[in-house]
Amino acid sequence: MNETPLPLWASESFWKKTAIWVTAGSFLILVVLTFDSLSQTSAGGKRVPAYSVINKKIDYQYKEELHKFMPVIGETELLFGKEYTEEEARQLVDLGKKTTQAKNCMNCHTLLGNGAYYAPDLTKAWLDKGWISKDVREDMMVKFLMDPEKNARTFGSNRKMPNLKITEQEAKGVVAFLKWMSSIDTNGFPYNFKTINAEE
Amino acid sequence: MNTSGLNGVMQNATALGEKSRACLNTFKAWVQLDSSNLSPGQQLSVKYFIVAVILFFAQILFGMLAATQFIFPGFLYEILDFSVNRMIHINAMIVWMLYGFIGCVYWFLEDESGTDIVGLKLGNLAFWVLTGAVTVVVLVYLLVQIGPGKDSSLWLINEGREYIEAPRWADIGIVVVMLIFFYNVVATFSKGKWSGIAGVLTLDLVALAGLYVAGMFYMTNITHEQYWWWWVIHLWVEATWEVLVGVIMAWSLMKLLGVRRKIIQTWLYIEVALMFGSGILGLGHHYFWIGTPEYWLTIGGFFSALEPIPLVAMVVHAVYDSGAHAFKNGNHPALAWIIAQAFGNFFGAGVWGFMHTLPQINMFTHGTQWSASHGHLAFFGAYATINIAFFYLAIQHWRGDVWMGGNSQNAWRWKWALGLLNGGVVGMTIALLIAGYEQSFIERAVEGSTWGGYFAAQNHPSFQSAMNWRWFFGLITFAGLILLIWDLLTIGKGETRKAPIIPVEE
Amino acid sequence: MIEPVALKDFFITFFSAALIIMAGGSYALLFAWSKVNANFRIKIAAYVAYAVLLVAVILLTRAAQFQGYWLIISAAMVIGYFFAPIGIWHLCVKTHTDPHYPITHKEHQE
Repeated sequence: MNETPLPLWASESFWKKTAIWVTAGSFLILVVLTFDSLSQTSAGGKRVPAYSVINKKIDYQYKEELHKFMPVIGETELLFGKEYTEEEARQLVDLGKKTTQAKNCMNCHTLLGNGAYYAPDLTKAWLDKGWISKDVREDMMVKFLMDPEKNARTFGSNRKMPNLKITEQEAKGVVAFLKWMSSIDTNGFPYNFKTINAEE
Repeated sequence: MNTSGLNGVMQNATALGEKSRACLNTFKAWVQLDSSNLSPGQQLSVKYFIVAVILFFAQILFGMLAATQFIFPGFLYEILDFSVNRMIHINAMIVWMLYGFIGCVYWFLEDESGTDIVGLKLGNLAFWVLTGAVTVVVLVYLLVQIGPGKDSSLWLINEGREYIEAPRWADIGIVVVMLIFFYNVVATFSKGKWSGIAGVLTLDLVALAGLYVAGMFYMTNITHEQYWWWWVIHLWVEATWEVLVGVIMAWSLMKLLGVRRKIIQTWLYIEVALMFGSGILGLGHHYFWIGTPEYWLTIGGFFSALEPIPLVAMVVHAVYDSGAHAFKNGNHPALAWIIAQAFGNFFGAGVWGFMHTLPQINMFTHGTQWSASHGHLAFFGAYATINIAFFYLAIQHWRGDVWMGGNSQNAWRWKWALGLLNGGVVGMTIALLIAGYEQSFIERAVEGSTWGGYFAAQNHPSFQSAMNWRWFFGLITFAGLILLIWDLLTIGKGETRKAPIIPVEE
Repeated sequence: MIEPVALKDFFITFFSAALIIMAGGSYALLFAWSKVNANFRIKIAAYVAYAVLLVAVILLTRAAQFQGYWLIISAAMVIGYFFAPIGIWHLCVKTHTDPHYPITHKEHQE
């Protein structure tokens, strides 16, 4: 067998090494970025506020200098008329988060835009105008979650949320979770969203 | 409980058992498959293929139920809600494709390593454990559905995280089964001989199993939770699965077209470099809007623009190869499905992916039917097709290497199945594209993504007619699948001509 | 920093993005074909496909309002899609070189 020497860049061993280096290199960059992203997004940081943010007024406004919509955290605005400590707030949000998973919310709704598309996005649900006014919002949300059939909000679509046997405490947890989630800096998604606070 | 009642139950159970055994025997007599044509590894492999096809059927069935609910929201309301149907629709898909991949690996493991599978009994046990676990998980999905907001629900019922809903106990079971599979692969190659294909496969399986673990933890912080969740989803379907398909293709092309090993392996490494090089950091396109830092907009945008490069490489190589080999091929259905894979992957992953991936436009398409449109074509084009191609290779061998080239009997069946399945999926993709376009326009851009805006888009006539068309093309897909199953069971039955033997150059 | 696409530019964004991939794929296909079949018309068709890609990149760059370092993506697509098929073709030729395995490209024509 007379061997024709292959150029280096067409040889099996060259591409084997390239594949290993490219994979290892990309993965290493991903790991470094992961550490950075996780530390920038831990609860209590600038992008993802502490759970006690549920004690505050939250809004979402266009910031000219940043060129995007940003959550705006304002003065005290208690949830269910109670001021939560950081730990109490974490527990309540945790209950809400766990409830959204146990009730499989994500296979109808989207959260931060991820999930299914059968029901509306929950990212800014706390700020949605659908809750009519800030005075009735909390009460309406809890009642809706506990008995969605009777308090159906179908917007003319005939699509009704099923009764998921959510207890009152779980419903309050979900509301706290939604309020906290609406304060996360999502790089301006959703665009042009008008909140319940906006003047008509 | 009194004994007579118990006896009655026992008698009924025995009668039922006998009846089902009789049915099974009738079925076996009808399909006329001779398992002595298969090696022990291949006998295990076809078990995986059979379950894969059953789950494929479940995927389409529950997809149809969910699609019906978009048109008639009252359909099965509070019996099998959309969330349940949709969960089974996407879970069945993930699991059947994994079953298919595992089956493919067991199919060629002995041939590639040149020896017997080391832990064949263990492999068989793992198959039954996994299949039992999948059955229990699906039954719980159907009958229990949801639980209270406690850890126990996440451990026993479902984790409520799209694509990886399986409860924690099943997660652990899946990891154990994957470890057994991994052990079989590594130990068999170690006992026999290693090759470039074996090396890539082993490292890819490490990544595949390792990544799954990243998705097994509960977190209160939804940004962190979705961060890790995308590690599993994206790095599976846009990196490790692609490489796994590359491995399966590499082995198949060597056997089907007789391409030399050295060439195949060089190209496998090139593919790995291109796919991991663009795919790993392509993960960034899922980190635009979940709370993660702004640099992901740039990284995601840039690497998404690179992700079609491996597809371009395949186009060039396909033309080159079609010159080198005149496509002498004894299995037309398999070859047709491989060609469908090339097109499906190019359009589904390449064209449909890039259309809505840049953050400037993804701001409006994120979380709409755009993703569903892309998802349908990309999953089908990249993964369903290659599995079906392999099913045809397997059934040909199972029948005793019979002729499946031109002038086969009942060739209309596989041709119509191919046409209906591809036509159905393309039709659904286009219907969902129209729905997504309308949603990004009305819901996102005009109405600013409020709930009112969401429903304004859902109630729009163009959206509703898109949903009707999606349902119709779903039915076409379903018809294609039924024909495909019929064809897989009967193709080559009574065929006496043998397939041509393709010489492999070493 | 990104500038979201304006409502009026939605269609052109989707269309040009799809066109980039399809023209890139067509160029790769025709380029490779022109190598196995020395018909100059195929070569011209390949360059026409590339010209379509160039136009599509310009359209997308404007519709998606790329500025600053985002323009690197446009440049990468223009350069990458041109050279990738050429490089891959050379790789195909070199990796298949073997005296025992003559490649008969004439077979390609039916």
